[in-house]
Amino acid sequence: MRCKDARAILIGNEADKASAALLEHVAACPSCQAYARDAEGLRGGFRAFAREAVPEPSWGFAARVLRRLDELEERGRRANFLELVGRRVVYAAGVLTLLLILALVLPASGPLRGPTTAQLYWAQPDATLVASNPIFPDETGEARDSNRLAPVVNSTEGKQ
Amino acid sequence: MEPYRAELDAQELAWIQAAQRGDREAFGRLVERYQQRVFAQVFRLVRRREDVEDLAQEVFVKAFRAIRGYNFRSSFATWLSRVAVNHCYDFLRRERSRPPAYAVSAGGQSDQPLDVVDRLESSEQDPERQAVLRDLVGKLLARAPADDRVVLVLKEIEGLSVEEIGEILELKPGAVKVRLFRARKRMLEDWRNLRQEK
Repeated sequence: MRCKDARAILIGNEADKASAALLEHVAACPSCQAYARDAEGLRGGFRAFAREAVPEPSWGFAARVLRRLDELEERGRRANFLELVGRRVVYAAGVLTLLLILALVLPASGPLRGPTTAQLYWAQPDATLVASNPIFPDETGEARDSNRLAPVVNSTEGKQ
Repeated sequence: MEPYRAELDAQELAWIQAAQRGDREAFGRLVERYQQRVFAQVFRLVRRREDVEDLAQEVFVKAFRAIRGYNFRSSFATWLSRVAVNHCYDFLRRERSRPPAYAVSAGGQSDQPLDVVDRLESSEQDPERQAVLRDLVGKLLARAPADDRVVLVLKEIEGLSVEEIGEILELKPGAVKVRLFRARKRMLEDWRNLRQEK
């Protein structure tokens, strides 16, 4: 038997059922003897570990588990509610935004397509600004005076 | 195909079925029946007394949420063990920051008793030796990768059969044997390293 095979048996699931060949090999091989001793030591360690006292559940453990289940359910319900409300707020905001955009883009009324509210607003001539600016002359070099009246021909002058 | 339904006592069967319908009182009875077992399993897997109660509670919460999926194909104890082991496994993987290395560093750990090997040579019944062995195996397990730790605890500490471990870990018996063999081999190497350092 080779050392590798002997060691595989020593740490395998059938370590308790040592064959004559294994015993013979271990007896003759100091290295495998040490390996067998270590394997047995580790097994002893596991046995000691298994005998260790484990912590006991404290009094009322089951009741605490049930209380926790209640809390988690309540939390879940609250989270669902908030999610539902939040989602509705987002939907409502979306709808309002859409309506606002439509109000700005579409004609104010009537079946015929006319200027939109926005166009009407922006297309206003800035008459007050032009009329009240006597400093800058127009192309003729004369200051524009929108209030100047055309010369009136007196029809009665010729008759006289 | 519900081979374990017949093996459950009538009371436990009624509790399980009621819990599957959402009855918390019935689930509370199951908690009372299995809490000791779950505590032991969780403690042996995570080895942290301060975390055992919280983890056990989380295991039962998970079990309640999953109990509708219990189909009586394994015993309830095995099914619950599967929930506990999976939860501890996740916990171990989350908590483990260091790489899963077995090798003992050259300097050794400061809390490792230096005369540990001498004590191991003493009598099997010596309580001091038992304590040293227990601590040593605890430390080796604490350093082991989560996979090795779970399979070794279930086999060597809990004393479950390969078939039972297979049911819990959802592995074939052959795969469990391979995992056990590799885990033992790695742990024994670590054990031997410790002795050689001495």
